[in-house]
Amino acid sequence: MSRQLSILGLNHRTAPVELREKLAMTEGRGEGVLASLLTHDHIEEVVLLSTCNRVEIVYCSREGPIETEEMTGFLVEGTGLSVDECVPYLYSFENREAVRHLFRVASSLDSMVVGEPQILGQMKEQFDASVDAHSAGPVLHRVFHKSFSVAKRVRSETGIASRTVSVASTAVDLASHIFESLEGRTVLLIGAGDMGETAARHFQGAGVKDIMVANRTFENGVALARELGGTPIPLERLSNYLPLADLVVGSAGGGEMLSAKEVKGLMRERKGRAVFFIDVAVPRNFDPAINKIDGAYLYDMDDLSSVVEENLEERQREAVKGEAIVEGEVDHFWLWFEKLGVIPTIVALREYAEEIRNQELERTVAKLNGISEEDRIRIDHMTRSIVNKLLHRPTSVLKREVRPDEETRMLSAVRKLFSLEDEL
Amino acid sequence: MELLALEFACFAYLTAAAAYMTGIAYPSDWTRRLGPWALGTAFVLQSLSVVLHVIDTGVIPVEGFTEGLAFFAWLLVATYVFVQRKQEVSVLAAAIAPMAFLFTLLAIEFYSERTVLPESWQTPWLTVHVTLAFLGNAVFGLAFVVSLVYLVQERLLKSHRRAWMIRRLPALETMDRLGYLFLFWGFPLLSLGMVSGGVWALSMLGKFWTWEPREILSVITWVLYAGLLEFRLVGGLRGKRAAYLTILGFMVLVVSYIAVTLISVPGARHGGVYTS
Repeated sequence: MSRQLSILGLNHRTAPVELREKLAMTEGRGEGVLASLLTHDHIEEVVLLSTCNRVEIVYCSREGPIETEEMTGFLVEGTGLSVDECVPYLYSFENREAVRHLFRVASSLDSMVVGEPQILGQMKEQFDASVDAHSAGPVLHRVFHKSFSVAKRVRSETGIASRTVSVASTAVDLASHIFESLEGRTVLLIGAGDMGETAARHFQGAGVKDIMVANRTFENGVALARELGGTPIPLERLSNYLPLADLVVGSAGGGEMLSAKEVKGLMRERKGRAVFFIDVAVPRNFDPAINKIDGAYLYDMDDLSSVVEENLEERQREAVKGEAIVEGEVDHFWLWFEKLGVIPTIVALREYAEEIRNQELERTVAKLNGISEEDRIRIDHMTRSIVNKLLHRPTSVLKREVRPDEETRMLSAVRKLFSLEDEL
Repeated sequence: MELLALEFACFAYLTAAAAYMTGIAYPSDWTRRLGPWALGTAFVLQSLSVVLHVIDTGVIPVEGFTEGLAFFAWLLVATYVFVQRKQEVSVLAAAIAPMAFLFTLLAIEFYSERTVLPESWQTPWLTVHVTLAFLGNAVFGLAFVVSLVYLVQERLLKSHRRAWMIRRLPALETMDRLGYLFLFWGFPLLSLGMVSGGVWALSMLGKFWTWEPREILSVITWVLYAGLLEFRLVGGLRGKRAAYLTILGFMVLVVSYIAVTLISVPGARHGGVYTS
């Protein structure tokens, strides 16, 4: 009997978004697919993974792998798509490769934005759903939990997630290298554009206190200010409010709103206290010459994007370290997986018993000083036969009487009961 | 023993310098661990050498010019360690550790040229004066280093490039605040150092003030720092200009110390090389 761990699926690299959308395991559909999968004779355990970038069936089967076409049938269930339409976009992994793939996915090495943190949470959720549906057994339990801990290792031991990769979070990161802290700072938002709003929300998340919104159409400014819990200000009075702001975000349409000359005056008024200008508008709201003024730091969309670019490259470099960690963990896991058979388990059980027998024997013989060699052999024989008799029944049950579909569970239980597990 | 301790300290400073400097370019767990460990070891070893010197001679190790530099480095590291406990500024160590290495190396190189102070000079005021003055200088030294870091960070932020480097340096505002704080603490120390120097001269020569070049330069330095502090305190001087002036102030301090030592006239008592 050969137990097989397999993955069949598609992701953002292999399939277009239209197809991924159709195949996504929405709540109702996912349950149905899971139920059908469990009716398959050879499938012992199964977990469905579905995010906006991937749809995968992770399963454990007996009697070798299952035909791709057959598995694809489950994947397209209820979508109206045909198997042939999907097959060209699919990938499949077996055993070791499957373990590696799962570890890489959890560690966000396989993500569209390498290092993004959401995937781990999504995986945990969907694994839990499978546990609730009783479709995940000991093998998938092990491989998923292991993948979560590998992901944590990769995250903490590499810089894979240490760099901001969105424009707004990069702006926050830069701001925190101008200002000691963003707590209690004031942001002035010029324009009610989406990018500006996103930036403002990121700054709020970082502790910024007040948000002022100046917009050409005052009503829109009021609406956004209300949403952000800020204060709307009339655009004509901008120069009165400007000196109060430590961070000025421009996302207004219609070009330049602030000249270098105005900012020079502003800096005098602020007695040189730094201001961070973030220009996310196209065409730009702030005169590029502002960056030349002492204490004024100006980043426009291009500047922020180039930092994001640099950060992405750094993540790629860190990802190489992540791959190495994954590789080592796959080896380790695979050792365990291969041992999860009847014979290795019996051997381990015997070794464990023999170890205890030897220890106790030695201890006792040492205490009984001056016992004859004959007596020692007698004691040895007695302990040996106790161990043998104790182990006889579980051993024969494992060898003969376990139903194939129960085997994994049983072996896993035995290994757990006697702590035969390797440190994983 | 004293020299041996200093030699080991010197080596440990070199290790710390390498670790801290590597830590900026390629931060890793081992640079993060090795840096503080090596610097701490170096500091303990140098402290041991200072103590041994005091036991041996009764005065702090400032008889020679280079010994004075090493003593200065010791105080610089001490103030750094003190500050680091309250505020994460380990990037400063990347400048301080190499400085400490260089100064202790010089002290070791010129160890044999030690001059013994005349009996009459060895009053407790010598220790008080030199310790206070050097402590003031060390704190100004930190102000100098944070101002340098400020300028580097400022330039990086303006250049829109090398974000990885920006990320490894503290916030501009932190550097500015520390620069101000160090001026604020360095100034009274310097002032007390000067007054105690006068008292020492009084106890030794019967005169508080002797118009010696070093004294005149000290007063110029003092006036410079007083002005700088005044501007920051009242005039709202901050940022880049404050950093430039802090750097300038420290350069004047260093240049006057070296110049006076090298051109010291016979009979002059300062700068370590006692030519009497």
